[in-house]
Amino acid sequence: MDWKIAELKELEDKIWRCTACGTCKTAYDYGPPPTFGEICPAGTEFGFEGFMASKGKIAFARGILSGELPWDDELLEAIYKCTICAGCQNQCQLDHKPYIPEIIEAMRRKAVAEGAGPMPLHKNLLQSMKNYNNPYQGPRRVRTDWTRPFKKAGKPIKDLNKEPAPVLFFVGCTGAFNTAARAVPTATASIFQKLGMDFGILGENEICCGSTAMRVGDSEEFKRVATKNLETFKWLHDERGVKTIISSCAGCYRAIKKDYSLSSEYDKVMEGIEVIHTADYLNRLYKEGKLKFEGELHWKVTYHDPCHTGRHLNKFIIDEEGKQLWKGAYVDVDQSECLYEQPRDLLKAIPGVELVEMKRNRANSFCCGGGGGVMTGFGEWAAKNASLRIQEGEDTGAERMVSICPFCHFNLNEGAKRIGSQVKVHDLTELIDQVLVGRSDD
Amino acid sequence: MSELSSLQKQHAPTITDAGKVDSVLRELRKIVGESNCTASKHIRYAYSYDLSFVKPKLPDYVVMTETVEQVQELLRFANKEKIPIVPYTAGTNIGGLTIPERGGILLDLKKMNNIVAIDPESHVAVIEPGVSHAKFADALYKHKLRFGWPVGPPSASVLACAISHGIGGLNAKYGLNSQEITSMEVVLPTGELVRVGSCAIRNDAWHSCLPLPQLDGLFKGWLGSSGVVTKIGISVHPIPPLLKVFTVSCENVEDMYSYMLNLSNYEMCDDLTAVSWWLAQVPIPYPFKPKPNDAPEWFSFATTTSWTEKEREARTEIWEKVFEEEQEKGTSIKQTVYPEEALRGRTQLPSQVVGSTKNYCKQGGAGISWPGTFTPAKVWAPVYNKWKDILIAHNLSPSVRMSMYRGVHYGMLRAMIPFNKQSDEETENARHAIVECLKVDLDAGGIPYKPPIDFANEIIKRADPGYLELLRRMKKFLDPNDIMNPGKLGI
Ligand SMILES: Cc1cc2nc3c(=O)[nH]c(=O)nc-3n(C[C@H](O)[C@H](O)[C@H](O)COP(=O)(O)OP(=O)(O)OC[C@H]3O[C@@H](n4cnc5c(N)ncnc54)[C@H](O)[C@@H]3O)c2cc1C
Ligand code: SF4
Ligand code: SF4
Repeated sequence: MDWKIAELKELEDKIWRCTACGTCKTAYDYGPPPTFGEICPAGTEFGFEGFMASKGKIAFARGILSGELPWDDELLEAIYKCTICAGCQNQCQLDHKPYIPEIIEAMRRKAVAEGAGPMPLHKNLLQSMKNYNNPYQGPRRVRTDWTRPFKKAGKPIKDLNKEPAPVLFFVGCTGAFNTAARAVPTATASIFQKLGMDFGILGENEICCGSTAMRVGDSEEFKRVATKNLETFKWLHDERGVKTIISSCAGCYRAIKKDYSLSSEYDKVMEGIEVIHTADYLNRLYKEGKLKFEGELHWKVTYHDPCHTGRHLNKFIIDEEGKQLWKGAYVDVDQSECLYEQPRDLLKAIPGVELVEMKRNRANSFCCGGGGGVMTGFGEWAAKNASLRIQEGEDTGAERMVSICPFCHFNLNEGAKRIGSQVKVHDLTELIDQVLVGRSDD
Repeated sequence: MSELSSLQKQHAPTITDAGKVDSVLRELRKIVGESNCTASKHIRYAYSYDLSFVKPKLPDYVVMTETVEQVQELLRFANKEKIPIVPYTAGTNIGGLTIPERGGILLDLKKMNNIVAIDPESHVAVIEPGVSHAKFADALYKHKLRFGWPVGPPSASVLACAISHGIGGLNAKYGLNSQEITSMEVVLPTGELVRVGSCAIRNDAWHSCLPLPQLDGLFKGWLGSSGVVTKIGISVHPIPPLLKVFTVSCENVEDMYSYMLNLSNYEMCDDLTAVSWWLAQVPIPYPFKPKPNDAPEWFSFATTTSWTEKEREARTEIWEKVFEEEQEKGTSIKQTVYPEEALRGRTQLPSQVVGSTKNYCKQGGAGISWPGTFTPAKVWAPVYNKWKDILIAHNLSPSVRMSMYRGVHYGMLRAMIPFNKQSDEETENARHAIVECLKVDLDAGGIPYKPPIDFANEIIKRADPGYLELLRRMKKFLDPNDIMNPGKLGI
């Protein structure tokens, strides 16, 4: 399987489209009314221009390419102090816009390839991936611990290694191994069961999607797990009748949809398989009138858009042939795949729930601070950043913050603890599970 | 960019031995704390260049201050040690003005970003240097107030723009943004804190620089070379509900000037601007592309705001009268529809799209510079015609803007020149063309604003010796050790 993953040098012409105007430093919309907010977690925390948004990261990229910035510990740390949230990308309008996260990751790939990167804590994570096929040093058998209550209740979850089913629930490592985030797969599976869906999991045979490896610049490790996963998906489709892969994890979802498409075999392997996030899947059912809610949740909630289900799913229209503008020109952005409205529509549908928006939302959502390897590499800062987001939620008067990513879930919880906030963090599936009427209850 | 290291050697800072570097950093840490100062190369590197043709140069340190006291302490220290200080807020001035000529300390003021006060009754706000146009717009709108927003990046500083004689969307009505400054608080290069304007007499009175002697002039247009401004009072204005933009086109610059002169006599516009065909394109064509024969060469938008329908009608009546008069003169004036995206970029300010340089640089590449000038309106046409020849000869678009300031006698004449900064030759080509244009303008009575050193040198060549001597004396008086943004004034 060939992979088209760009080296920094290949992106040099793009890097030279940046004017250093600094517009990427703030989320601002004319309105009216005009709205303004900080958008870069790294810039907010560290301040210096190099840390600030794509303007700063592109300065590093130029210096690395020209040889003026040789690797040293501080430079390395600076390129890893970025959550790859793409908040900066959302502000830029020039031809390199579609490639901004790619440029940041390509710097990291170069660091890894040249033996300088990643950060020491990332090395542990990557070693764990090699040893255990997950970044949490979790033994294989622990991967299914969250399924025990289902077995106990006499509702075991199907093992796709043994039986066929049209739907694969791709659990993801965070939901499986991170005890605080286990509520996410648990609620998801419970919902699927209530809906009477024929679905299964890969259980102990599931391996990491590779998202974190890719984000921290280890494209070799990413390719290893991604290739294996693609082969598994093909097998599941051919041998087990899988037609849909559902994920409740923003990171896995983004990886399978976007990172895996860098494989030369992607279209062939994924033919006949749809990849969908749980929130999107449930919203479709809701629109078809297939979700029924009972009881009320008298909660005032705010919704946090994970970067990976939001702006990371932007599709950029590029004039590849030079027919419209010029060769390589960025033409427009198509946001139709970003999951902005689906989770909100579901929240609004839950009886009793009052949804209030944070100032920075949708495409200008402020990252929780956990992405891009930051939660592993710089846990203290990740939690500090999450507390800023929790505070923003608290300022709306909301008592709960809902999201659709176990990674955000964990990190936002850390943020809430850090500032002693009363705001409780939930995954959307937890709310739905509480009020969903099961088919047998009908 | 590869020239950076050798350039750095040429302009080697005074601080060369490692021991001294460490002792400077130690001192800086004492003043602002460890996380607010650095000598790391990658951090300095990100401050070594901007969008302009000015060659990159590294500062030796970068410092972020959070309080006025820290600024004072820093300047006292730098003055004692004779270390250059370059004030910085966002570095978007398009003139290399925050690229250090002699190394030293780059003073990033972005963390001093408080909107100290907005007085919706008196229409005055007090702000710190790090307040961006985006933040200010958000805060002012809550009081239904507005300001003369530039077409620059929303993340850039309101204060830096105003003290640099910035230009905004209300210039035809209220004058330059520097004319809106009502009081100032400044740390002198020797560390003393001073105030000018009403706040010098009573601590909380920020309403006016007049009728006191205008000492605010010591800190406006000095390119950060006379002190660090830590607060300004600034006029803000109510937002009238009704907007009407009158748009016309003309075949040539002479006809456009005639219209603008006529209309500006009535002093009824917020902004009265004309742009050449090349500047009306989104983006500016790069390299030069000929204008289609059937397209007019000039477009103008006259932005007016009114409180009532009747007022709007009265403005419309005046505008129609002007338009008819221009037609009767036999000029090529026509009513026109200004391209929508370009018009949005002029009237919906601050603008994320225009600020991100899309309208200017999207085709050209990473660079943009300008001969940006205040030029007597009556020479706009001849200067433009010469600029056009020079720019086209350099294969660059004559993307020129003319804006009438308050009154009728002068205004902005500016050519926005994007270029491919990845290429040294193309950068030099743009620089050469722009400096040639500037000379033409200076010789016609224009003066460049936010001038890069290439321009400053041309100004100095033509300046009256008495003016130069006064400038030198004032600089020496304020900044005896020449630590503040040294070299930028060209003296
Ligand atoms: C696309 C584009 C369009 C633009 N359009 C306009 C326009 O319409 N009108 C306009 O006026 N400008 C325009 N600009 C220029 C610039 O964006 C503005 O002038 C801007 O507000 C400057 O702010 P800054 O924070 O970037 O200042 P900087 O570049 O950081 O600083 C500007 C100057 O002020 C000095 N300085 C900064 N802070 C202080 C301080 N506290 N005390 C003393 N000196 C200080 C610096 O040393 C420097 O000399 C444009 C720029 C771009 C990129
Ligand atoms: S990345 Fe885009 S918005 Fe940011 S400085 Fe560069 S050109 Fe401007
Ligand atoms: S991706 Fe996010 S954290 Fe990284 S530079 Fe951009 S805005 Fe900052």
